[in-house]
Amino acid sequence: MEETFVAELCERVRDHAARGRALRIRGGGSKEFYGAPGGEAEVLEVGRHAGIVAYEPKELVLTVRSGTALEEVEAALAAERQMLPFEPPHFEGSGTQPRALATIGGAVASGLSGPRRPYAGAVRDFVLGTRIVNGKGEDLAFGGRVIKNVAGYDVSRLMAGALGTLGVITEVSFKVLPRPAAETTLAFELDQAAAIEQANRWAGQPLPLSATAWEDGRLRVRLSGAATAVAAAKAKMGGEEIDAMQYWQDLRDQRLPFFAGDRPLWRLSVPQTTEPFLPEHGQLVEWGGGVRWIRGHPDPLAVRSTAERAGGHATLFRGGDKSIGVFHPLKPALAKIHRRLKLAFDPAGILNPGRMYDF
Amino acid sequence: MQTRLAEWIKDTPEGLEADAILRKCVHCGFCLATCPTYNLLGDELDSPRGRIYLMKQMLEGAAVSERTQLHLDRCLTCRACETTCPSGVEYGRLVDIGRNLAEQRIARPFWDRLRRWMLAHVLPSRALFGAALAAGRLVRPLLPARLARRVPARRGAGSWPAPRHGRRMLVLAGCVQPSIAPSINAAAARVLDRAGVSLVEVPRAGCCGAVTFHLNFQEESLAYVKRNIDAWWPHVEAGAEAIVVTASGCGTMVREYGHMLRQDPAYADKAKRISLLARDVSEVVAAEGPALAGQWRASPAPPKVAFQSPCSLQHGLKITGVVEAILRDAGFALTAVPDGHLCCGSAGTYSLLQPGISRRLLHGKVRALESGRPGVIATANVGCLAQIASGTSTPVRHWIELVDERLA
Amino acid sequence: MDAVAAAPGTRERTLDALRAVRPALAIVADDEGLKPFETDAFIAHRETPMLAVMPESEEQVRAVVRACRRLGVPVVTRGAGTGISGGAIPRSDGVLLVMTRMRAIVSLDPVARTATVEPGVRNLAVSEAAAPAGLFYAPDPSSQSICSIGGNVAENSGGVHCLKYGLTTHNLLAVRTVDADGDVVETGSLALDAPGYDLMALVTGSEGNLGVVTRVCVRLLPLPERTETLLAAFASVRQAAEAVGEIIGAGIVPAALEMMDRIVIEACERSMALGFPRGAEALLLAEVDGGEEEAREALAAVRAILERCGATEVRVAADAVERERLWKSRKGAFTALATILPDFYTIDGTIPRRRLPDILERVYALAAEYGLVVGNVFHAGDGNIHPCIFYDANQPGELERGEELGGRILEACVEAGGTITGEHGVGIEKLRQMCVQFRAPELAAFHDVKGAFDPGGILNPGKAVPTLKRCAEWGGMHVHGGQMPRPDIPRF
Repeated sequence: MEETFVAELCERVRDHAARGRALRIRGGGSKEFYGAPGGEAEVLEVGRHAGIVAYEPKELVLTVRSGTALEEVEAALAAERQMLPFEPPHFEGSGTQPRALATIGGAVASGLSGPRRPYAGAVRDFVLGTRIVNGKGEDLAFGGRVIKNVAGYDVSRLMAGALGTLGVITEVSFKVLPRPAAETTLAFELDQAAAIEQANRWAGQPLPLSATAWEDGRLRVRLSGAATAVAAAKAKMGGEEIDAMQYWQDLRDQRLPFFAGDRPLWRLSVPQTTEPFLPEHGQLVEWGGGVRWIRGHPDPLAVRSTAERAGGHATLFRGGDKSIGVFHPLKPALAKIHRRLKLAFDPAGILNPGRMYDF
Repeated sequence: MQTRLAEWIKDTPEGLEADAILRKCVHCGFCLATCPTYNLLGDELDSPRGRIYLMKQMLEGAAVSERTQLHLDRCLTCRACETTCPSGVEYGRLVDIGRNLAEQRIARPFWDRLRRWMLAHVLPSRALFGAALAAGRLVRPLLPARLARRVPARRGAGSWPAPRHGRRMLVLAGCVQPSIAPSINAAAARVLDRAGVSLVEVPRAGCCGAVTFHLNFQEESLAYVKRNIDAWWPHVEAGAEAIVVTASGCGTMVREYGHMLRQDPAYADKAKRISLLARDVSEVVAAEGPALAGQWRASPAPPKVAFQSPCSLQHGLKITGVVEAILRDAGFALTAVPDGHLCCGSAGTYSLLQPGISRRLLHGKVRALESGRPGVIATANVGCLAQIASGTSTPVRHWIELVDERLA
Repeated sequence: MDAVAAAPGTRERTLDALRAVRPALAIVADDEGLKPFETDAFIAHRETPMLAVMPESEEQVRAVVRACRRLGVPVVTRGAGTGISGGAIPRSDGVLLVMTRMRAIVSLDPVARTATVEPGVRNLAVSEAAAPAGLFYAPDPSSQSICSIGGNVAENSGGVHCLKYGLTTHNLLAVRTVDADGDVVETGSLALDAPGYDLMALVTGSEGNLGVVTRVCVRLLPLPERTETLLAAFASVRQAAEAVGEIIGAGIVPAALEMMDRIVIEACERSMALGFPRGAEALLLAEVDGGEEEAREALAAVRAILERCGATEVRVAADAVERERLWKSRKGAFTALATILPDFYTIDGTIPRRRLPDILERVYALAAEYGLVVGNVFHAGDGNIHPCIFYDANQPGELERGEELGGRILEACVEAGGTITGEHGVGIEKLRQMCVQFRAPELAAFHDVKGAFDPGGILNPGKAVPTLKRCAEWGGMHVHGGQMPRPDIPRF
């Protein structure tokens, strides 16, 4: 039945390619808000292509169909005291609206990673293999189910963050890791500049950091690891120990008060040591300084040039006027290769056209 | 590595030896990591692996030109690659064979030939080199500073203890060392005297033959070798325990006597015996160490020492950590020296024939040696001593001199 | 790969174009000087390049690539030449671009924990430069003392600490390349991600097919406070493999978990005399690291598991010197093996870890079938096996027999649900097995990817990905739409 799904999917994509009719890929719909709106397109539901294909805890390898709910995957891993180390955001919405269930395929396609990312790695770092249906309706498998694999170009990692514009993800294999035995959070009263500097200094030492967040003059640092390691780090770093389990989940899923309301949300990804900028706007700093969230209506050009000057890039993450481009414009040589790749994987341009850039 | 040696060389002793060495090489490239010329020039052809390949081509019968000669000439023969090689490729022996063959095949320009001939004949002659050095010292005040530093100042030898012990060892007099630093052998004699061993210099023995050999006058070099063997032999038969060498470069050569003369019916056995008796002075002092314990001066406090382990000591003789331990026993504190495996650029006549590369290596070496702010730099080979002294104002001494001065 | 003669006059035209490059470029054009470049560390195959150049700047690289593009001349990029799949073996109709002279450490930022280096910088030189700041660069292939960062990126090199620290691809921030048009393409960024597609993932491990690496920004990690190394001897390979599974199952991620079989143990003992336990069928070298307490705790846990799994002896390195000695055996193992027979050929397959005992039994059976000696030293924690096939290259036919055996072993890896290369790359060595691992549409997709970066196909052509035509000639089961050898095995 699952293979039938893939076969039908291939058929449908081929049909659309032949007719030049765009498809908008949808898993659970939790990340509908993300990316450019794209043009008119028929929705391609992949959420029902669900289920864990293989999971061998001793191998640290998990293979799942793309429509599998993220929470189901996480529960299966938790039962074996393991986890997806990149802590993917769910973004499943809050109480009032009907809940849109995040799928593992969406987590990969969006390429978004949570608070643990700077210390454990991004979603792309844990993708071992993907199975996709490309824009020609071909069922393709790249990478593998083993931890090391360098056969062929790393197309499976390419799918992470490609927003479905190169192929419909149908199956993913991940490297997973044991859950840390102990976890705690320390809080420090610091201004933004000092917090960024401190977070970077700590990251250069063998400390079990697993997340940092700064807002409103308070730096929170999560420690995860062996109980002895966490205790030793706590003694070394000082600060106030707080209960922040919920805080980190709310940060990951943007349910903190900082994210409430309709004002546009910008995500500036910059080198972690970048000094504070655009002080007139409210900011939340994550990833040891690597991500600066900005709420408000800053001048988009100023935001983009600030990020670029620092060596990073800026994304209009939620809300705002998307006509200026959600994602940071690409330099010509990069744009050239992007277009050629899109053409190679999806010659008819029917997969999520316009969701990322104008192709 | 696969080999197909040419007919003309295949079954000769050199051919068989070269083939066995080449076959061990797996072309892994690990040797590049510690090769001083590759480090400087970044060219495969100036790496051990590249040179092995060039020699392999020649041995397989390909035409060779100045190209091969250039890269073989640029090799310092420091043999750091041998220490690094996990497959046990005896690069030093291969390059001896390769250079000799290349010399026969590739004509050198007249001036190059003349220069090499001069070096091969002046340096090993104590009389000629001594005279030249004396002339140099005479005009030293008139020379520009850079050149003047290359002419080492003279230091008195001090007394040589009378042979009072029953235990005797011979010491190689050498060729340039008596002119540059007569104090080294004398210091060795004094130190060993305190340990209960009398050191004897045999007048007729002289240059070890390395200079001529590495300039590719390999046949001529054998004359020096045989002369030394003849000079030492009666003493060996009379019970000399060892042949002590205070210059590690010469020590490496004397260790090779057995191999060099293995085909010579008249000398093979003697040469083998001599090679077995050859000892670097550090090996002897380390072995006699207990006899020296308690004889060290209490004051003044010795300066911090940066020890430069000559390539011939660490890669040729494969002696590591021995001198350092002796210096520590004698009360010296040693500074850390980064990249200790790299050559100082002296390498026999290399500093004269490849001055550009040699100076660059010297600068790097001096920087490394001075990084720990030592009061004195110690080495174990007279060539390195002269080379390093030409690049620094920190005093440079043979370690045995320092040890000698520490004896109460 | 077949030697292709360049069209008449091409050599001269190319030489003229290269001589016109400004600032002037180091060019090797004589046969005597070119020969030593005819192979990398995969010495089974050789091809003398038409010309070789040693650029010292990105500008020169761009000029060389543009000239070659214009003339339709292939460009093969080479780093230190330590690859063992033949990725840097030149073409007789092409230019060899030797990157060893671009070797500056451009910057090292201890607070940001990054180093920006030119491609010719040695892997170990990065860690050496970072050490005073208490940092290191994690990927550590056996050749780390000499292999270049550019080559590491091209091959997506691994090492012995991959299980915990990942491959090269996990330790990069940005890679700058020159594409086949001569344009500078900046992939990744100094931030933790970059806009658009993850082109850095494609470039990493592309074996010189998608661009010439001219600058790399690597991530540096804090040196662990404490490292503990253990060596355990087992009476059977199966027991050792089970111990590996138990360690990981217990929630421990060791920094390294390496295995050696009897043949390798004996070879190391012969060439390095390390005093290994006698009579062991398998040795497991495990390393755990982290904070003081953490490493100590993990050491105790690993030790208990090893003993429970039947280790006949467990040794713990008392200090750094002893640890160095234990590692020396592992890192020098391949070349120490040269004491068995003059030539050997190293295979690089990965399999799901639980299949280790089966695959090793299969390897021994195949070795017996071919009458060749095979030793195994490998990354057990990653399921990445490295059987070494010994032969005598001076005996006609032995190399071919060895290669055929190697191919059979790799195919067995695919059958076991694994892959034909964990870290060495495909190069020219494993082109045939690529046809086993991938089906025609996937291979076609790879060619499409290459086309996006290199429409003229001038960058290292004929390496890494076989043409569909070659696959068809070699057996072609996937190309002709026939049945796959084991249709029940997932095609990952």
